Amino acid sequence: MAYPSTSTAAREEWEGGTCVLTYKPLDVDAIMRSVRDDGAGATAVFVGTTRNSFKGKVVTRLEYQAYSRLAIKTMVQILKDARTAVSRSTHQPPAHNVPSLISCTVHHRLGAVPVGEPSIVIAVSSPHRKEAFVACERILEDVKEKAQIWKREYYEGVREEEAEWKGNNC
Amino acid sequence: MSRQITVLYFAAASTATGLYEQSISLPTDTDPKFPLASLAALLVSLHPNTGLDKVLESSQWSVNAEMIPESEVGSVFLGGGEEVAVICPVSGG
Repeated sequence: MAYPSTSTAAREEWEGGTCVLTYKPLDVDAIMRSVRDDGAGATAVFVGTTRNSFKGKVVTRLEYQAYSRLAIKTMVQILKDARTAVSRSTHQPPAHNVPSLISCTVHHRLGAVPVGEPSIVIAVSSPHRKEAFVACERILEDVKEKAQIWKREYYEGVREEEAEWKGNNC
Repeated sequence: MSRQITVLYFAAASTATGLYEQSISLPTDTDPKFPLASLAALLVSLHPNTGLDKVLESSQWSVNAEMIPESEVGSVFLGGGEEVAVICPVSGG
């Protein structure tokens, strides 16, 4: 399968976290460990996996491609937005100056992702659970809405050339 | 001297055109620069009867890896050297 030359593996770090696009299988444990911090009381992790069906059709695999140069910038901005948006924990008294998120990371796999394997892993560490959950969900929804990544679904009994490109809000 | 841009096609746009990228010469009769708003028609003329027109209707543009909001397309002009991508509806995550 040929991919666009612009659908490359990519990695970008900022002080609040890391964004990765990779053709390698995602190591959920390693990704979770990467946000580890002694100041974290909570780590929220989301793993998106290839499901075996879509509207009654049997899915055999998904393939992802990205405009990596732009997608990685979009993913970093999503992490920055999550950090800004997720407010101070309601468990803390107002005078307490604690960062609500310690570290966030999102890894998205490119290329073929067989049924049952992860295509996206998001991990967020925080002093408190509420912020970790909220940020994790927000990052997922923002990636689905904005990241310049495309998925193609291959179904059993359908010729490869006719495999559909999906759109998240279509 | 002709001005060239690189157009990148992904997903449905690449399936329609059969290409991942294409070097396009901007028409020399548009002076000084070529409006981004006219690029769709130019690409469709290069790829007639491929369904590219339908794909472009639901797509956005990026220029040099920056998304162009719908409301700003009319104010973007290409002078040559830009990397323009067709961003059809995304499906990551």
